[in-house]
Amino acid sequence: MLSARGISVGARLQDIHLEAHPGEHIAVLGPNGAGKSTLLAALAGLLPVHGTVAWNGQELARIPFLLRGRMLAWLGQESHAEFAFPVREVVAQGRHAWGDDEAAVDEAMAQLDITHLATRPITQLSGGERRRVFLARALATGAPAQLWDEPASSLDVRHALEVYRLAQQLAARGSTLLVSLHDIRAAYRFSRVLVLERGRLVGDGPPHEVLTAHLIREVFRVEARFLTSLVPELPE
Amino acid sequence: MKPRSSGPILVFLLLTALAALASLALGDALLPPRQLLAALVGRGDDLARTVLWDIRFPRTLVGLAVGAGLGASGAVMQAYFRNPLASPGLLGVSTGGALGAVAAITLGSGAVSLFTVPLASIAGAFLATGAVMLMARRGASAEHLLLGGVALNALFGAATSFLVLVSSANIQSSGQIIFWLMGGIENRTWEHVWMALPLILLACLALLPLGRAMNLLALGEAGAQSLGVDVRRLRWQLVALSTVLTALATAVGGVVGFVGLVVPHLVRMVFGPDHRRLLPLSMLGGAILVLACDLPTRFLPAGMRLGVVTSLVGGPFLLWLLRRRPC
Repeated sequence: MLSARGISVGARLQDIHLEAHPGEHIAVLGPNGAGKSTLLAALAGLLPVHGTVAWNGQELARIPFLLRGRMLAWLGQESHAEFAFPVREVVAQGRHAWGDDEAAVDEAMAQLDITHLATRPITQLSGGERRRVFLARALATGAPAQLWDEPASSLDVRHALEVYRLAQQLAARGSTLLVSLHDIRAAYRFSRVLVLERGRLVGDGPPHEVLTAHLIREVFRVEARFLTSLVPELPE
Repeated sequence: MKPRSSGPILVFLLLTALAALASLALGDALLPPRQLLAALVGRGDDLARTVLWDIRFPRTLVGLAVGAGLGASGAVMQAYFRNPLASPGLLGVSTGGALGAVAAITLGSGAVSLFTVPLASIAGAFLATGAVMLMARRGASAEHLLLGGVALNALFGAATSFLVLVSSANIQSSGQIIFWLMGGIENRTWEHVWMALPLILLACLALLPLGRAMNLLALGEAGAQSLGVDVRRLRWQLVALSTVLTALATAVGGVVGFVGLVVPHLVRMVFGPDHRRLLPLSMLGGAILVLACDLPTRFLPAGMRLGVVTSLVGGPFLLWLLRRRPC
């Protein structure tokens, strides 16, 4: 279980309390600058925070980096690609905290549909392809908690849907997932949503209960109309 | 993520050995193979033994140390700053060393002992290193360090120019300064070898096990930390080791430009960016380049010093490779 007890990060995140249990896949929503990325980085132990982040009751700050790398996988929004590492080597970096595991690397690459890119240098990939490579790296860690910051940005509709499905499948197998999203509609594919506004948690619960017209108006300053329209789905 | 075959490393080792042999054999007094062998085992005529043991060996070993140090330091800087244009001079360490040496020559003119200039150079380099470490300890980002290096470079460069102008009245010391700023490994003694070689060797050995973590760092600091790398410690190790390497290389070889920039770059273009391989190949490649560029300086007019030749050879070669394939 991943828990935050009263964590604050400067003015960007203020007094957040939450618990994320195994089997939950959680969407993190909020307008630009609401603190979604800061929350995920803080939960991954990548930022100095006031308050406590704990994994299974153990304070994260006291766990050595290598062990943290086995528990928590994080996908950031920025991905650097100045050096021409082949795709497979980048994914294999996910095994750093454990040691090499060819099967885990192969599986992660297959799940993100990048097996055919294995020997290509990451410098030559498109933005969406590169995104999937770094997501595969996070997946290859086998970490039971996965924190993904906008994994679907720059992905085409099919690959975005596959990422949401992957989150669901991992949760069904007992992982804990926190995924930040731009697209409010995609939040309905998750079991729980967190809504952030100016660094504070203003909504937490199942999507159909939290995402009311009122909350969407208050937080995102848009009108929500609930109607039936085109909804792309993956074939069964 | 297994390192691939060690073939390239063996080839580079062989080339290093060949370059070292050529460096021992060639010069004003040519030592043909048989004479070289005899002098190596302590036989043959006195002149050959003196040339080999008192002149050529120190020069060759200093060349190896300078080249390996600058090559390794360049590979580290480029990974650290995630910028293939980074080089050992970037953090102000070379210019700090240059300032120290120039100050020693200017102030001490005439009565300069063998050690004064290298020691002053080491002091200057470590002054710069100290400033860099202070910035790194405060948790400055790579971009901050880079800008700090620019500031240090400007500062030390200005002070050096000032000293060069002040000393221009004294022909002897200004000549010495210009020779030193152009870099070179002639007239080196065993003292220079002991000053630089053991520590450079140690620093290189300490770098080799960091290759794997450097691969992660090269793709982003936060990502590396999330995968289990203690990024703060790693950054500290890399800054410390690469500045020590640059400081020592500058202290015994003067300012030898381009090696730290061009060698890791060429190695990466040909053998890929995996630092477990890039680090050893950059060390050996640096040694090969310095020894190879030192050879012609023995036969060319006096102005063609090591620093000039490395830049003359390295520049066009890099341009040619850039044209052939993008990095």
